[in-house]
Amino acid sequence: MEEIVFGIGITALAGALATVAGAAEDTESDIGSQGDPNSQVQLAPQMGYIHRIFNKAVAGEPPAYGLWVALGAGLAWAFMAMQINPILAIVLGSALAVFVQGVYATTAYLGRTASLAKFGQPVYIDILKSMTTVTMAHAFVAIFTTVAMCHLMIAALGHPFPLPLMGLVWGIALGAAGSATGNPFYGKERQYQEQKFGAGVPISASGNIVRYAEAGQRNSLDNGFFSAKLGGPASGICFGLIVFFELWRTVVFEELNIWGPIIVGIVVILVFAIIDRYIEVWARKNFGPYTAPEAPEEASS
Amino acid sequence: MSVKVEVGAGGIPHNQILIYGLVGSLVLIYLTYLNTVTNTQYFAFFGGLAAVAALIWGTDTIKHLCSYGLGTGVPSAGMIALGSGIIAAIFGATTGIFAPIVTVIIAAIIGAVAGLMANHVVRMDIPVMIVSLIELAIVGAMTVLGLTAMACGTFEFLGMITGTVVILGFAVEAYGASVIGGSIIAVIFMLGAIAIQHSFNACLGPGEQQDRTLMLAAECGFLSMITVAIISFAFIGLLAALVSLLVSIVGWIYTYTKYIELAKRDAYAWLDAQPIMEPKGGA
Repeated sequence: MEEIVFGIGITALAGALATVAGAAEDTESDIGSQGDPNSQVQLAPQMGYIHRIFNKAVAGEPPAYGLWVALGAGLAWAFMAMQINPILAIVLGSALAVFVQGVYATTAYLGRTASLAKFGQPVYIDILKSMTTVTMAHAFVAIFTTVAMCHLMIAALGHPFPLPLMGLVWGIALGAAGSATGNPFYGKERQYQEQKFGAGVPISASGNIVRYAEAGQRNSLDNGFFSAKLGGPASGICFGLIVFFELWRTVVFEELNIWGPIIVGIVVILVFAIIDRYIEVWARKNFGPYTAPEAPEEASS
Repeated sequence: MSVKVEVGAGGIPHNQILIYGLVGSLVLIYLTYLNTVTNTQYFAFFGGLAAVAALIWGTDTIKHLCSYGLGTGVPSAGMIALGSGIIAAIFGATTGIFAPIVTVIIAAIIGAVAGLMANHVVRMDIPVMIVSLIELAIVGAMTVLGLTAMACGTFEFLGMITGTVVILGFAVEAYGASVIGGSIIAVIFMLGAIAIQHSFNACLGPGEQQDRTLMLAAECGFLSMITVAIISFAFIGLLAALVSLLVSIVGWIYTYTKYIELAKRDAYAWLDAQPIMEPKGGA
């Protein structure tokens, strides 16, 4: 019994770390216009809309975060193998992984923007300087919390995988959670505030993203504020729940029967599928222009 | 899916890069064998240089493959390259001194099977698919083998699965503290997979220039080398790892500054804290 109580405590702590990680991850990727919003940021100059938005497409978020977290975990593992204290090792590993992330971000922005020279999109160095550092800070929070969570699973819950492999698995999960949950807030709505809510992106509006802010010109830090308010917390709840339910079903039900966690996992998925479907239908009925028979053609997702 | 999109023309022909990349990475990987010959670990960094050579070649291959309208497929190309490559590299490593050559052959077979599946079963019908996937599998295998050799000082399987743990002052051999047992190979997999696709993914567009893209490929390679050099402190001697770290940092600083110069050359304008310049005639 004591073991289960201890396990649930660790589960809650891991879930809390994951919530912070999800929120930081989504804010980081939205500031960099990574994932979902990227295609339109990339397309805008080609349609004549020169912008001051950071465009760092390293890869989709799941592979990119797979690398950052696996790298942080791998470096932390190596430092621990050199007899360095785990907390210090995780901090050092995450810091070095963030250095790699920052370098990738700068090269991505410079490369993408330089290749758009034909359309008159200049390289704004102040964007590179101010926004790379902000994404690095958010990435550090995301990587550190995820690696710490993985270390907890191994050290406290006795997970058999080595730390770098756990980092890879949970890093991909983190990127997927942020990409699926948080990005649509920014990519589908904020970039297209001028379109009707939920209308999708008609081809005629492709690349016509919002480029001017409440005062002056919008840059990606404005998107950071926005993401920190809506998309980030949503991603955080998503990833936190994933981690919490994943550990909870194992910690609590493994004692009863070896099949227990698997059955509980399927039940949890079904319950969430029903909730999601209900919310989706409810939102469409109340907000969307979906009732019109000739819905505008969606260009891309 | 077989409409060719615009990429920068001209530059070094692909076949020339292929030959340099293949021969270069093979020779450089074999140079890590000097560790075994001289019974030291100072030559581990040659493995990283082999990975850099392979990555430059792989970037050019991805550019050829992905010019067939595979915009969002660029990162996936990196994944399939390293996914095929890691199997070949681990199998090849078990063959002792022949490891690099066996790895190339096995990778070519895996790549050919993947290419045939993609073209004839999935019906993607891209003319260069089979050749490109063969090349990418070899590149992925050489990257994994090179970076692994850099981390543990050898490309032989036994070296990859044995590490040492110090217990009460005694060094004990342990599987869990090795490159494969500690899953450092998973880190190497991701380092290679992102590095191989990043250069073209970051530079694609109508203004893409081969020299800039390939310089970025070298930069990604050296950046991966830096992290592998830091990890290698856990496996090889202090001085040997320091040599690796020094080589990687020097290479990275050189390629990074060169890349920024090339980006400056190709950019429309290089502005600091300037407003949006609306194009003439309005948007």
